[in-house]
Amino acid sequence: MNPRLLLATLALPFFASAQDTALHEYISDDQPWKEAASGYAFTDGLCTDAAGNLFFTDVKAGKGIYKIDAATGKTDLFLDNLPGISGLQIGPDGRFYACHNKEQRIIAITMKGDVEVLLTGVKCNDLVVSKKGHLYFTETPTQSIHLITADKKHIVADTGHIVKPNGITISTDEATLVASEHGGKNVWAWRIEEDGTLTAGAPYMTMWLPVGKETASGDGATTESKGRYFVTTELGIQIFDPTGRLSGIIAKPVADGKVVSVEFAGKDHDLLFVAAGDKIFSRKMKVTGYFR
Amino acid sequence: MKVHLFSLCLCLATFTHAAPQDDQYKLGPDSEVQPGVPQGKVTQMPAWTESKIFPGTTRDWWIYVPAQYNKEKPAAVMVFCDGAGFVKPDGQFRAPVVFDNLIAKGEMPVTIGIFIQPGSFPNKDAKIKARSNRSFEYDSLGDLYARFLIEEILPAVAKDYNLSNNPDERGICGNSSGGICAFTVAWERPDAFRKVISHIGSFTNIRGGHVYPALIRKADKKPLKVFLQDGKNDLDNQFGNWPLANQDMAAALKFAGYDYQFVLGEGTHNGKHGAAMLPDTLRWLWKK
Repeated sequence: MNPRLLLATLALPFFASAQDTALHEYISDDQPWKEAASGYAFTDGLCTDAAGNLFFTDVKAGKGIYKIDAATGKTDLFLDNLPGISGLQIGPDGRFYACHNKEQRIIAITMKGDVEVLLTGVKCNDLVVSKKGHLYFTETPTQSIHLITADKKHIVADTGHIVKPNGITISTDEATLVASEHGGKNVWAWRIEEDGTLTAGAPYMTMWLPVGKETASGDGATTESKGRYFVTTELGIQIFDPTGRLSGIIAKPVADGKVVSVEFAGKDHDLLFVAAGDKIFSRKMKVTGYFR
Repeated sequence: MKVHLFSLCLCLATFTHAAPQDDQYKLGPDSEVQPGVPQGKVTQMPAWTESKIFPGTTRDWWIYVPAQYNKEKPAAVMVFCDGAGFVKPDGQFRAPVVFDNLIAKGEMPVTIGIFIQPGSFPNKDAKIKARSNRSFEYDSLGDLYARFLIEEILPAVAKDYNLSNNPDERGICGNSSGGICAFTVAWERPDAFRKVISHIGSFTNIRGGHVYPALIRKADKKPLKVFLQDGKNDLDNQFGNWPLANQDMAAALKFAGYDYQFVLGEGTHNGKHGAAMLPDTLRWLWKK
């Protein structure tokens, strides 16, 4: 093959998939935010399952894990007696993994509600679980990223670099871990080594700052199926392409409100849900989520 | 791995499909090997894996040493961002061939070329594509990339070669994000680099580079010599409008009294125009 042709062939899929895509390639003007659930105090911990159901918590006043059914759109209390969860994801074994912020512990929960305590004494905020079963969580006050390996070893994977780490997600090849700064302007990226440990950390992405502020208030984060990162911030949901370039900012559903958690769900995984204070909103997207 | 990295970087820089507007730009005789002209030597260096400025990255790089190089005399230095595309003897730019021809005619000094790729984060699992650090290194403002060259690469080259320490004899060239990177290196460290070539430079808001025209207008004039090329059909996307940004750069350089040249052609986000002009560009850049 002509080397030039070969290069073009190699280059194009990457180019077409995730580079140079403007905001109007993710969202439609005629698909605004819609209220999906309301009546809570402080929603958080958004996660999804294969069917596209959305699970969330109410950190301040809730009873446990709530579910928005992908088929009916109805909201129910899915698991009771688990108040104070701030980060949630379903792991490769089909259990929930949770930052049980109120109890300062990391737990796994079966769909029936059986709890296994994995780690205690941590001020955990948000987490992500890899397909290999490595669990990473942010501990905001200690500027740390923790790792609980698939064989349940606890390792402080990075400390003292990222300023108030908050939201956390993973690349679609699960080779890069990504975490947002609540107290800074960067979203950090690390290489995930074979044993799950993190190396080569760097402030790979820079969030847009509100006028007059030095912090972006980066919060919950998720990954889009073509590898873009969606990070909630004070200005809105900031989108970064896989090379770390800020390529768009989706406005918040309530202009003066907060968004603290974000996840794609719905039966086609193309509804972007955000936790926005007392409510959950969703917006139909032209792209889909990675987690399912 | 090499082809893969190569393609990734080039697709971001200059190797997108050439449009008809680009095909009018053709290489001239100074970009072809000429009989009787002494040929310098291009050596691929061992991949640079121990960067302290960009920890965890690896990158390929090459050194060109002209036939006329004499270790008793300090050689001028020229760094090429996305160096793989510039160093290839049958590539778009063929910089070593151009250097051979111009050095032989005395139209540029005896110059050692350093052709360097952006970093990437390889993975032990060969199935996983290395994550590119190109945008972080090239599009970011600040002195990180300049320090990488000054603290890591130049000392490594200087172990084997006598390099000029005169900043007027040190240049840097790049395309697209490599173009703004070249400008940033000289802007941050005019004590080390004073000659800049930017083709289709990304003076747009990828990571804040759109502020340069404003900075150039307000900051104390720096002793730089800057060549800018862009095409009227270059990119217009969420980061900005390339032709407008380059015109804004040129206007700011003019306003602030810089020694600069700006060529606005018809091309797209492609290196062809810059490549066709490279001999003339280098003649202008190195003219005393």
